[in-house]
Formats: sequence, C-alpha cells, structure tokens
Amino acid sequence: MQIKLENIIPIPLKENLQYRSSDIWNTTQVFNAGEWVNIKAPSGTGKTTLIHFLYQLRFDFEGNIFWDNTNTKQINADAIAIVRQQKLSIVFQDLKLFGNLTARENIEINRVLQQPYCASEKIDEMAARLGITSILNQKVSLCSYGEQQRIAIIRALVQPFEFLLMDEPFSHLDNNNKKIAAELIAAECSERNAAFVLTDLDDNNFFNYHRKLIL
Amino acid sequence: MLTRLLKKIISTASGRTKFVMAVVGLSVALLLILSAVQIQANYNELLHGKTNTDSTANFLVINKQVNNQTINATSLSDDELNQLQHQPFIDGVGNISASRFKASIESYTSTFPFYTDIAFETVPDAFIDVQPKDWQWDENADFIPLIIPNMFLDIYNFQFSVSQGYPQITPDVLKMISFKINLQYGNGQKVSYTGRIVGFSDRISSVLVPQNFMEWANRRFGNSLSNKPSRVVIKTKDPGNPDLVKYLQNHGLTADADKTRFSKYRQIVNAIVGVSWVTGAVMLLFALLIFTLFIQLTIASCQTEIQLLITLGASPKQLQRFLMQQFFPFNLIVTFIVLIIIAVLQYLLCYFLQQQHIFLQPLPSLSTVAAAIIVVLVLWWVNRSTIKKYIRM
Repeated sequence: MQIKLENIIPIPLKENLQYRSSDIWNTTQVFNAGEWVNIKAPSGTGKTTLIHFLYQLRFDFEGNIFWDNTNTKQINADAIAIVRQQKLSIVFQDLKLFGNLTARENIEINRVLQQPYCASEKIDEMAARLGITSILNQKVSLCSYGEQQRIAIIRALVQPFEFLLMDEPFSHLDNNNKKIAAELIAAECSERNAAFVLTDLDDNNFFNYHRKLIL
Repeated sequence: MLTRLLKKIISTASGRTKFVMAVVGLSVALLLILSAVQIQANYNELLHGKTNTDSTANFLVINKQVNNQTINATSLSDDELNQLQHQPFIDGVGNISASRFKASIESYTSTFPFYTDIAFETVPDAFIDVQPKDWQWDENADFIPLIIPNMFLDIYNFQFSVSQGYPQITPDVLKMISFKINLQYGNGQKVSYTGRIVGFSDRISSVLVPQNFMEWANRRFGNSLSNKPSRVVIKTKDPGNPDLVKYLQNHGLTADADKTRFSKYRQIVNAIVGVSWVTGAVMLLFALLIFTLFIQLTIASCQTEIQLLITLGASPKQLQRFLMQQFFPFNLIVTFIVLIIIAVLQYLLCYFLQQQHIFLQPLPSLSTVAAAIIVVLVLWWVNRSTIKKYIRM
C-alpha cells in the first residue's frame, strides 16, 4: 500500500503552520510500499492530527490524501472499513482500548473482525515476548499504561496489514521494553513486507528507517 | 467469536426493563391485530361456508312495495331489472311472470268438492328449490304440473282441516289427486285441462306452472301484452349483506324480511371487528415506536463503543448485521408465540361452537398466517432502517 499526501494542511492549524517549513504540511509527500519512515514532531505541530488524517479519522484538512491512488474523499464508510481490516493498521497515542474487556479480548477483536490473519496462539506468543502474559485475562482498565501500550501494539499486529501507523508507540515503555517491542514490530513488518510511519517527539533509532522526516 | 465479543461490548443489559416493555407491547398489539384477522376469517367462514349455509336463504323474492304511489304500477322496468342484475351482491335474477288470463280450478269428484279462481306464476327452473320429475309440459301432455308452496299444505293440514273436520293429507296423497283447470279466453269462453300438483316449494310462495306452458297459455288466452314481471327471484351469496338491504330500501323494493334482518346484526359485528382492527393497528404502531426507541436507546448508550469499533475497522454493515441478530429474533419469537396462542384460542372456540352446532376450522386461517408474515416483514423493515439510521449517525 502506498499513501500520498498532496498539499495537505489542517484547517485548525492553518495560521500556525503556513509560514513554517515542514516535510509534510503544504507539500507533496509519498510513503511507498514497504518503506519505514520516522517523523519527528515537536509538540503542537500536529503529529496526532497527521496520523488521524492518514487513518481517515479526521477530515478537517485542505489538500488531498490518496490511498493507493484513490482519493480518500471518495471512499465511503464500508470501503474505509475494508482498508482498515486488510491493509492499514494503527497504534494510537491514546491507545483506544475497551476498558471493560480483558487484554486478550481487546486483541481478539482486531484478529476476528476479518478473516483471521494468524491463529489465536500468536497472541500468547507475542504477549510472552512483550512480557504481558500474566495480564492477558485481566480487564484492561486495571492494567498500567505500559501494559496497555503493549496490548495496543499486539492488537495492531494480529491483523493483516500493508501499512502500519504508530503514534508515539513507546511513550510509556522503558528502554529495554522499547527495544523488545521495536524488534517485534520490525519482524512483523518484514514478514508482511509492510511499510510504516512512526511519529515521535524526539529523534530515535528504534528501527532502521529508510527516511527520517520533520513535521 | 466476533459475535461474543460484540455482545460483550454492545450490551443490552442496561435497558432490560425497557426491552421487556417493548416486547410485551409488541405481543399485545400482535395478538389484537391477528385476532381481528382471525375473527374476520371465522366470520366469513360462518357466512359463506358450506356447512353452515341454509339453501333457501340464498334466494329472495323481491317486489316493489305496494303503497299509495305504486298502486297498480308495481311492475319492474327493464332498467330496474338490468340494474339489479349488475349489483355485485346479486348472482342471478329470475323473472317471475304472472298469468294474464282468468283461470279457476275445481275438483273432478263430489266426495271432495272445491272450486276457486286462481292465477299462476312462473319462474326459470334454476330458481325453484325442487325439481320434480313430472315438472314438464308440452301441448300433448296429459296434465299441467303445478308446484305449490309448502305453506299451503300446512295451512290446510293444521288449520283448515281441523276447523272443517276434513282429513289431513300427506304430500304424496295430494300429488295423486287430479283436478280440473279451466282457462278462460278474453270473451269468457272456457277450456278445461287436467292439473296435478307435482311438488312443494319452500322458496316461492306462489302457484307455479312450467315456463313453456305459461308462454303458450298467455299467447292463447292472454288479454294484455305487458310481460313485465312484478316480482323477481334473486340469487345472492349472502341475504344478510347490508349492501343488499340498503339497495332494496333505496329502490323501494321489499324482500322476505326474515332473511334480510340479519343485516342489522351483521352491521354491529362488522363495527366490533372494525374497532378491534383499528385498536390492533394503533397498538402495533405504538409497539413499533417503543421498539424503535429501544433500539435507538441501546445504540445511543453504546455510542462510544460503536464509534471505537468503527475506528478499529468494524464496518457499519458488520455492526448492522450484528444488531439485527440481537433484536430481530425477538420479533420472530413474539410473532410465533402469538400465532400459537391464536391457534389454541381458535381450537377452543371451534370446540365450544361445535357443541352449539356451529362449525369452524380448528386451525388459524391462512389470512391470519399471511397477516403474521406481513407484520414480520414490517418489523424487519423497521428494525433494519432504525439500526441503519443510527449506526450511520
């Protein structure tokens, strides 16, 4: 999957961003299939806004976004759902988990929304790798932020995807856990030959990025 | 798996009381509306069913009311006959034509002497309730067959013979008695023939002769050219039909009151069934409203979860299908239970009425089942459109 941005600028941030130089806003940018991209974004530059635009959660922007050459403005809700189930996965900054479901159920939901990409045992395998096996059957609302973040990462990885969006995916993890999580993500993306865009506040070397951009 | 998770996320438990209310409302409304259909079906069966029909009730003799305006002008015009024939509630019209000559009958023997002036009428054979084998005549026939009302014999046997001290006569004996029929030309000259009674009618209170005899005799002895009937027999599926009674009233016609008086009861029953229809329809409307509100409420109370599911990639169609599976089966179950209740009631009613010699089908009518199917389709549509509308919001 390829995502192309064409002169996009968020309407609420138009005033602030118009006179700033940026690799993303108000210019043309293409994220190619299989490409790993890091976007460094200081606070207030519209990092989460960009992720939401790319995922089609928000539409308050000028310019055009193309998913595989299809203008996202022409895609209806059911077609968006199909892309999200088959091609585009995401780790939200605010995680967006169901508080009253267990960790396993939260992950399962993403696995079974479509024809499952992997078996249910894969969840246990990934949870073991990230060290959250013990909380798999615990209600998410009772888990720590660090645990919730790892649940959200696994949830993003159990579905089929060609493109992964990550918004500060390691913000609540210590360095050791960051390294383990990054290895898991890299392995899954390599296996699928998938592209990803990771946004973070600071410079980082979690992955062997193909490109580093500044928002 | 997905359904189990969705069930956990979109929980209907919060509105359980409201859900029970919605289901109860729907059940009562369905019971009312389907009962109305069943009652209507039973009622139609009682009116038109073969087992309950009295054969004489389907033929009515109709004539103009004799009053100050219509004296000597009671014959029915071609227009009036034509109109009668074209009424939807009339299946056939048979003219009763009267003899247009003077006639008398007298006995051959002095042991049982009688003499009376008489007139005849005739009506197409299809409208006579008896078809005796001797009911035919031609110019070479030995005798003229007559059909007289059963009532005449009753009057003789139970009234006249008792008061005069005469023996009672059985119908078979009466059929064997020949008597003299005198027909009179316009100039007063008489010709005598032999006559015999060949049958007794419950339907037409007149002395009937075969049609071809009447035509022949009218041609030969008749003294006027008018052949307009003053009475007709009509065949109708339902003599109690209020439309028929109203038509007769509006056109100054009368029929055997005995047979048409049921129209009044019919109107009352019609009104009651009508009220039950309307009540059922209104209740159904309210029940649909309650159910719609319940669906809205469930969706509204899980709005955040539904939103999150869509964010994660659940398609609106997937959620619609899931919600439909949550709500629609209850509608089906309610309809099914109501149909069973109606079947039981119908069976009890059938059993109860059987003891009073009124016969009904022990099973619910096809129209009731059809109505249930239509209601299920309406419910399906309401469920689906409500879910669709609120998911897309």
